[in-house]
Amino acid sequence: MASMKRYFVVRFVQTFVVLWLVLTGLFLLFRLMPGDFTAQMAVAGASPEALEEIRDQWGLNDPLYVQYWSYLVNFVQLDMGESAIYRQDVWQLTKMRIFNTFILVAPAITLTYVLGSVIGTVAGRKRGTNLEKFGIVPVIAAGSFPSFFIAIVFIIVFASWMGLFPTSGMLSPGVSGEYDTWWGPYLSGNFAHHYVLPFAAVICRYLFIPSMIMRTSVIEVMDKGHTQYHRLTGLSSVQRFRHTAKHASLPLITLYPVSMARALGGLVLIETVFNWPGIGWLLVESVLGRDYPVVQFVFFIVAAFVIISNFVVDLVYGTIDPRIRVEE
Amino acid sequence: MTEPLLEVEDLTIQYETDGGMLTAVSDASFTIDEGEFFGLAGESGSGKSTIAKSIIGGLDSNGQVTSGTIRYRGEEIQGYDDKQLNEAVRWKEIAWIPQSSMNSLDPLQQVSEQAIEIGQVHTDLSNVELRDRLKEMFDIVGLQESRIDDYPHQFSGGMQQRAIIALALFLEPSLIIADEPTTALDVIMQDQIFKYLDEVKSELETSLLLITHDISVIFESCDSVAIMHASQVAEYGSVAAVHDNPRHPYAFMFKEAFPDVREPDRELEVIDGYPPELIGDVDFCSFIDRCPWATDECGQRAPNMESVDDDDPTHVAGCFRKDEAYELYQSERDHARSEGHSGEQTTAVTEGSD
Repeated sequence: MASMKRYFVVRFVQTFVVLWLVLTGLFLLFRLMPGDFTAQMAVAGASPEALEEIRDQWGLNDPLYVQYWSYLVNFVQLDMGESAIYRQDVWQLTKMRIFNTFILVAPAITLTYVLGSVIGTVAGRKRGTNLEKFGIVPVIAAGSFPSFFIAIVFIIVFASWMGLFPTSGMLSPGVSGEYDTWWGPYLSGNFAHHYVLPFAAVICRYLFIPSMIMRTSVIEVMDKGHTQYHRLTGLSSVQRFRHTAKHASLPLITLYPVSMARALGGLVLIETVFNWPGIGWLLVESVLGRDYPVVQFVFFIVAAFVIISNFVVDLVYGTIDPRIRVEE
Repeated sequence: MTEPLLEVEDLTIQYETDGGMLTAVSDASFTIDEGEFFGLAGESGSGKSTIAKSIIGGLDSNGQVTSGTIRYRGEEIQGYDDKQLNEAVRWKEIAWIPQSSMNSLDPLQQVSEQAIEIGQVHTDLSNVELRDRLKEMFDIVGLQESRIDDYPHQFSGGMQQRAIIALALFLEPSLIIADEPTTALDVIMQDQIFKYLDEVKSELETSLLLITHDISVIFESCDSVAIMHASQVAEYGSVAAVHDNPRHPYAFMFKEAFPDVREPDRELEVIDGYPPELIGDVDFCSFIDRCPWATDECGQRAPNMESVDDDDPTHVAGCFRKDEAYELYQSERDHARSEGHSGEQTTAVTEGSD
């Protein structure tokens, strides 16, 4: 497995380089943007002298490379600066919101891919039947609506009419003080009750992607020579199914982090409708208020998530498909 | 005489298509004895691969055996489902060498993984024993034993083909079906593959059903041959009999279409037209439109397979004019030759390019 080890090392180094490039890109991007950062920090109508003082204080008059270096050093120490709007440390401000978003998106998208691969496999294996032709229609229909529409429909039907779930929020008002630990609320029934609707909304929105990909992939793999060969060598249907699934899931594994990233970005609307205390709304607010330290960090988190999950996917891919490993 | 290994009798196979039931094989019969190398020859689309697939249960989902029987060691297997075939026939008894080895090995599995999986399904041998056995087979087909743990993409095309042959030999089956095993290879590789198959013949007591459009290969390496044209078996007998004394017009024209080292100056035969597409039952001779000696009778019913030689009852042909066609052909050819060599050649080339 020497090639596997080598593959791991090469991809690991590549991942680090890309993360660094993103960090650098963000640094340059925010320095190129028009507008003066200090104007946000000072009271309106502050004197030019006062502004100059703030600039000095924040190191904005230093040469770019000095700024860049302290930017990197601070970053490694989890010092992302202070939010201009909330006057609060960026890391402290965002960490729970990032967690709230991830705890909604990661399980939902994962389940979406599990469900989607089952739907796609069934549809692919029943090619030409009515089940294949029409069974996938509701999945596509749900995926064609904007996400906020699905969220609103869910609230109207399941929260308002049927009264099964709360309409919004992550916890009922006033209960958050009851927990001693930061993770206590996430294990409570109250949280689970609030979790169901946004979770279901994310699944409905994104289910069509893995379903469609898996269907095409299964049909393709079933026509392959090795599928016929496995059958003629006398493998049982269970064994053959395992081989087909392994081949067919390769494109799905590639797309999984892409969907995850898309969901993170697209979650703003679902979070807004459900009043979910995630990162989506904070991001919108920060962009509108030019709260650069927050925007910069959130951008980086989303990018880092895509890059790291791609790294993980490549590793998984490498163990499944020997052709993908790095050649000597 | 002992029971034959495989008996195919009056086998008809049809595919369901938009245009109706397409007959791929019509009333085909032949037998393969233990240890016999049997060649099945014919053009593309003549039904030879379909027969082979039906034996091991590999027909496409729209194809089915509509009449006739396939008996393996006396047992009728044409109606077996996947599960019965897995238990009674596949790999331990009948193994398969597919047309394109490049697409048949699973790219996500080492060859040894694939072999062990097959071995575990059909035998009680341990993984170590299975690996040893695979090494033995790699040795027979001329691959290094150390390479059993390679993935298919680490092999060249010819090596993949040899690995596929090693997998076919793996459980020492009684019959190996080789469906155009050398089509994708260059001639040097082809020659090697047949060298390995000959070795198999002398070392293991395996029968072979060799399917190919290249009849010279069959004459070289097989004991018996059946020549098929558009779903029907035209002629069938020992290689010597069919080679020296062909009776069906398609059989001798097909044979003469290949060069022969013993007659380097001979004109190569060109058979005009294409095999017909047969919808519904075939109750006529399928060669009728291409046969220069066809009569009205040929279109009225399908000819029976009848013996052509009183001394050799196994040599049969399905032609109403089997007793005279070859003589007619030879005299016509001699006549043409005496008229002028070059003239005929020009015609042949023009006809061929149609």
